[in-house]
Parts: sequence; structure tokens; C-alpha cells
Amino acid sequence: MSSYFTIFILFCKFSLLCFGGGYMLIPLIISDCVEKYHFLTLEEFGNLLSISQLTPGPVGINTATYVGYLHGGTLSSLLATVGLIFPTFILSSLAILGIRKWKDTLIVRGIMRGTRLSSVALIIYAVTIFLGMSVFTKPIPWQILSGKPLPEDFTISFTGLVIAILSAIAVKKKWCSTTIIIISGAIIGAVFAFVMK
Amino acid sequence: MKFDKEYFSKLFLLFWTFAKIAALVVGGGLAMLPVIEETFVNRKKILTSDELLDMISLTQTVPGIIAVNSAVYVGWKVAGFFGAIFAVTGVILPSFLVILFIAILFPELKPDNIYIKGAFAGVRAAITGMIAVTAFNTVKKSVKSKIDAALVVAAFVACAIFKVNPAYVICSAMPVGLLLLVWKKEESK
Repeated sequence: MSSYFTIFILFCKFSLLCFGGGYMLIPLIISDCVEKYHFLTLEEFGNLLSISQLTPGPVGINTATYVGYLHGGTLSSLLATVGLIFPTFILSSLAILGIRKWKDTLIVRGIMRGTRLSSVALIIYAVTIFLGMSVFTKPIPWQILSGKPLPEDFTISFTGLVIAILSAIAVKKKWCSTTIIIISGAIIGAVFAFVMK
Repeated sequence: MKFDKEYFSKLFLLFWTFAKIAALVVGGGLAMLPVIEETFVNRKKILTSDELLDMISLTQTVPGIIAVNSAVYVGWKVAGFFGAIFAVTGVILPSFLVILFIAILFPELKPDNIYIKGAFAGVRAAITGMIAVTAFNTVKKSVKSKIDAALVVAAFVACAIFKVNPAYVICSAMPVGLLLLVWKKEESK
């Protein structure tokens, strides 16, 4: 019972802290679900996000459903998903019903300003986390900043680098939809695995 | 609001439209807005374009998944509390069912096959590029001064290098943002 409550509250928390799109949820989910509670590994989370990009619906909902299922089956899955929407539902309803002008108050504008800047930082952090799962072979070893040597198995994957750069250019120049970019990434990755074999 | 046949057909319309949007629009959030506009503003004429703009500005100040915020707003406007419930259910049901199905089939996302592993690695790289562009765009949009830049760097260093839980970083950013706003106001007076 208490563990069902935990998963519900955890996703309520993610929902309340999500200002500005699904990507900024990545560091929050990794910090709790991977590093603290070990519901899944970092690699599995990366793969889950890959699947989320190919299946319909918001990435946040997809992650909640899957992580919830790993934690305790269908009921947990439902609780995590409902947890992710419950606070939004209440707050949006309050905003619509009463406090029409609330977004002009000093406190809301100040909070928005702070959260917007912290979400910028979290999206950049999400990029560095994904670099450690694609372009580099291991998570980026930030401890080298304090003078520790670079781990020996930390190298660049050139396929990863090429795909990441191509994908960034394709999104920036609006060459094609993100679905096509993701599918192309999968095909190039699989073909490269075949060639390397 | 009368609970008559018209009301129930509105509830069904909300559920069905949002389920359709969630099932067909891959990419979520902002990609949904044009579809909402087409359905509720242009075709059914039960929302005005002013209300749509109001919805967009509201979704940016209320935390949470953008798709859910939008569904709550349209639901309330069209059919009150139950409208919001039906719209939100519509938005989450397709993703929930698809992912639950995948989770039941693959409770471990650790493929052994090297081609599948390669494909996942390729997708992770593609996502890296996509998030990098989003990061670039949000920096351009939100970072307006040296103080902004310093705060972003501080938040990044706290999370990435000192491994502070991002939840604490977001919570501490709230009073900092407020102080910044108050301080700037004093300065401009």
C-alpha cells in the first residue's frame, strides 16, 4: 500500500516541477527512478525514451506508465500516470475558474522567471546525460574537473556522433518530422552494428 | 449546464477528439495545438481564437505536461468539470494502453540482439541531437542577461557536477527568480 502511495506522490512531484516541456523531466526522473529507487537502469531509461519518441502521446505520460509498471504492475502504472496529471488538473482548473489574473501577479511572474532559467539548465543537463549514452561510451566523467584522470574506457563513438549531428541539423533546418529522424537513427544504428560485426 | 443529450455528445466529442490527437500526434505538447485549433475553433466553433491564445499562455504558467494542461482548459470551457475529466482521459488513454502493452511484453528494455542494440543506440544519438536543438532554442529564448546566464550555469553545475537532486534546484530557483524581479524593478524606478 505504502509503495503504491510512493509512486503516486513521486509522479505528482514530477508534474509540479515540470515547467517547460517533457525534456526537462529527464534529469528529474533519472535522479529519482534510476539513481535513488533503482526502478530501472540508465540504459533502460534511454531505451524507454527511444520507444516514447516512436509511440503516440506525451513522453512524460509514456515514461510514467512504463516506470509505474516496472515498479508494481498495472495498478502502479495507472497510479504513476494519474499522479503525473493530478496536480496539473487541480492547478489548471483553479486558474481557469477563479484567478484569471494570477499570471500577472509579482509572485507568479518571479517564480516563472526562476523556473524558466532552471529548466534551461535541466534541458542542457539532459543533453549531457544523453551524450554519455550515445556520442560517448560512458557517462561524462565530470570528476576530471577536479584533476582526476579520464577513465580508460571513456571514448567517442563515431556513429553516435554522426547521427547526433545529422539529427540536430535535420531538426534545426526542419528537413523532416522527428518520427522520420528517429527511424533513420534506428536504421543507421542497426546497419552500423551489422557492418562492425 | 443541463445534463441532456447535447451535453453528453459534447463529452463524447471531447474524449474522442483528445484521444485521436494523443493517438495520432507523435511528439506531444506543442504539436497538438494546431489540431486543437482546427477541431474546436475552425470546425466545431465552440472555442474562439482568443480563448485558444488564453489557453496557450495559461499552459505556460501552470506546471505539468502541456498536452494535459490544454485538455483541462478545453474541457472546462466546452463542458465544465466533466468536460475536463473526459478530455484528460482522452489524452492519456492511448499512450497508457500502448505503453502498458509494451511494458507487459518487454518488462526489461535490455535487448541481447546486437542489431536491436545498435538501433537503440542510433535512436539515442538522434534524440541527443533533438534535445540539443531544444536546449539551444530555450537558451536563446530565456537567457536575456549575464545574471540569467550565471543562474543557468549555477543550476547546471549543481545538478551535473555536485549531483544535487534537480527538484531542489527548481525549488531554489523560484525565490531567486522572485528576488531578481523585485531587484530589477527597484533599479528601473
